[in-house]
Amino acid sequence: MSKRSFDKVLVANRGEIAVRIIQGLREQGIASVAVYSEVDRTALHVLLADEAHPIGPAPAVESYLHVERILAAARASGAGAVHPGYGFLAENAAFARAVEQAGLVFIGPSPESIELMGDKLAARRRMLESGVPVIPGTTAAVRDAEAARRAAAEIGYPVLLKAAAGGGGKGMRIVHAEGEVAGALRETMGEARSAFGDDAIFVERYVEQPKHVEVQVLGDGTGRAVHVFERECSVQRRHQKVIEESPSPSLTPELREQICAAAVRTAEAIAYRGAGTVEFILAPDRSFFFLEMNTRLQVEHPVTELVTGTDLVAAQLAVARGRGLPFRQEDLHQRGWALEFRIYAEDPSRNFAPSIGRIAAMVAPAGPGVRLDSGIYEGFDVPIHYDPLLAKLCVWAEDRPRALARARRVLEEFTLHGPGHNVPFHLWALAQPAFRDGSYTTGFVAEHFRPEALRPPLADADRAALLAAAALFEQSRRQEAGLQRGRTADAAQASSWRLAGLRDMTGRR
Amino acid sequence: MRKRYILNSEGEQHHAVIARNGEQVSVEIDDAAALAVDAAVVLGGRALSLRLDGRMHLVHLTGTDNKGGVAATLRGRPVAMSVLDELHALAKESLGTAAGSGTVTSDIPGLIVEIKVRPGQKVHQGEPVIVVEAMKMQNELSAAVRGTVSEVPVATGQTVNPGDPLVIIEPEPGG
Repeated sequence: MSKRSFDKVLVANRGEIAVRIIQGLREQGIASVAVYSEVDRTALHVLLADEAHPIGPAPAVESYLHVERILAAARASGAGAVHPGYGFLAENAAFARAVEQAGLVFIGPSPESIELMGDKLAARRRMLESGVPVIPGTTAAVRDAEAARRAAAEIGYPVLLKAAAGGGGKGMRIVHAEGEVAGALRETMGEARSAFGDDAIFVERYVEQPKHVEVQVLGDGTGRAVHVFERECSVQRRHQKVIEESPSPSLTPELREQICAAAVRTAEAIAYRGAGTVEFILAPDRSFFFLEMNTRLQVEHPVTELVTGTDLVAAQLAVARGRGLPFRQEDLHQRGWALEFRIYAEDPSRNFAPSIGRIAAMVAPAGPGVRLDSGIYEGFDVPIHYDPLLAKLCVWAEDRPRALARARRVLEEFTLHGPGHNVPFHLWALAQPAFRDGSYTTGFVAEHFRPEALRPPLADADRAALLAAAALFEQSRRQEAGLQRGRTADAAQASSWRLAGLRDMTGRR
Repeated sequence: MRKRYILNSEGEQHHAVIARNGEQVSVEIDDAAALAVDAAVVLGGRALSLRLDGRMHLVHLTGTDNKGGVAATLRGRPVAMSVLDELHALAKESLGTAAGSGTVTSDIPGLIVEIKVRPGQKVHQGEPVIVVEAMKMQNELSAAVRGTVSEVPVATGQTVNPGDPLVIIEPEPGG
């Protein structure tokens, strides 16, 4: 392991994760270089960086996915390393290779690890060889309905047809009976060909009522790895996580030990370098199976940091500098409970459709046990071109009941005006028995959520306060229209209203 | 001074009366008794702190348009509302006939208490131009169009009938 030094890092990302990484770099005394598209000149990550370079037009393929432009920015800035964040180019082996070929350090795993884990079939085979439990299924692609039917009969229905190159819920079909196999295979192959340019399909057992449990790992790149315990991410909509917690309420100490050991085996089997996440499916009978490995820093890494007292970005930097693992397994412990609520610009009442616009007002919660990773600020225009994740609101407390109570307090304090957002969804989820008792599965949203639930009836006192406030507000903005024309205040304005405040309040529409 | 407001909140219509007597402000919601309200503009103008019957409510408010739209949040619960004073609400209802009209009229009989504009003056859409008192409530009427005031055929203290022209505005082209 050679020591590789760098004192300037280019962050090839935007939004809250770019902010998180830039903050981590600053704490280490490392200069940060932001890159930005034409619509992101005023984005928070650009405001906070030491240096920033434009990399092209708004569409991601022209900017944040444009390898040559990002490398040109790295060369121009003299950065010694590139941090890819998550999404965009984070799991693109060609990018990792290009960064290394340019003589820069890629803060992440080797291109070979990215490639291996990007191919689900190859990853399955490797995990089987390493003794990591995988969902019973085929280890090679099935090409025709006859082969698929044979495999399904052996595995037992229901089965899942899955694209080897798939991800994000695309290229998947559940098949319940033999008669459905041929049609489902045709559809899945077509979808996989158009979405991923590869129609390799495999068959695996469909686990019903599954939970999603994942394990944070950190490898030194030479075959040694530690785990930083688990996260449970079963609250999902459209196959995307919205709430994560650590520890998982579903694991016994024995099960935790087994699943974490399996994750370490996974990382060690491929001599994994840096931070990664091994995802598992947990069945109702408590058997668990390897699902996939994410070869990057995860969105939900803060819950792990809160519960274990670690700094995963600092750990990534230590490994990237060739200093080895910054902690030993026996030094890592879980303490208390943490939850993360992803704040998306989306409308939960319209099937979580993305919502955009200017952040008209933002009042962020604070106080004990609160962490907010945000990519926005008041007055920022949320662009339509990128992921609608605005911020991540995390809480920590001594145990799960206290963490849930704190989460409610903190979500009620969080005010965001402008784009639609999912804070009301989180408050709804927190009140559900299946969430409170930890029994929720990945079917939680589909089974329990109804858009009407976002508008619980208002208590009389609350309704009175809202109506009175709206009427006072309307009165003040009428007066303000007069004031702006330079008229003298009439009798009604000789009240306790602060005029500067009113101007501010009414001038934002 | 008493003013009555028509509010729409999540498909329900409500009314509120704000009464001011010097520093004293009270509010009547729907048909409930008047409540003394102590309101303070806080958070740099982004919220109202209301003390109602001793209970504290922090209501975040953002205007969403210039037609009475308000986004409010109370303890994490967003509520979209629209609010208009009574005369504006009535005017809006009859907008089908008077849409974009440069003539400001009252829909109810009342007394002219204040004229806010004079002929030749430019006004913008939504700007209050005249105050009519009816049923002990003062109601501001606004310009429905942007343009120049051409005539004010009424005087302060005059009683007017529904439909009487109060302020006539020459609309600006494209306004």
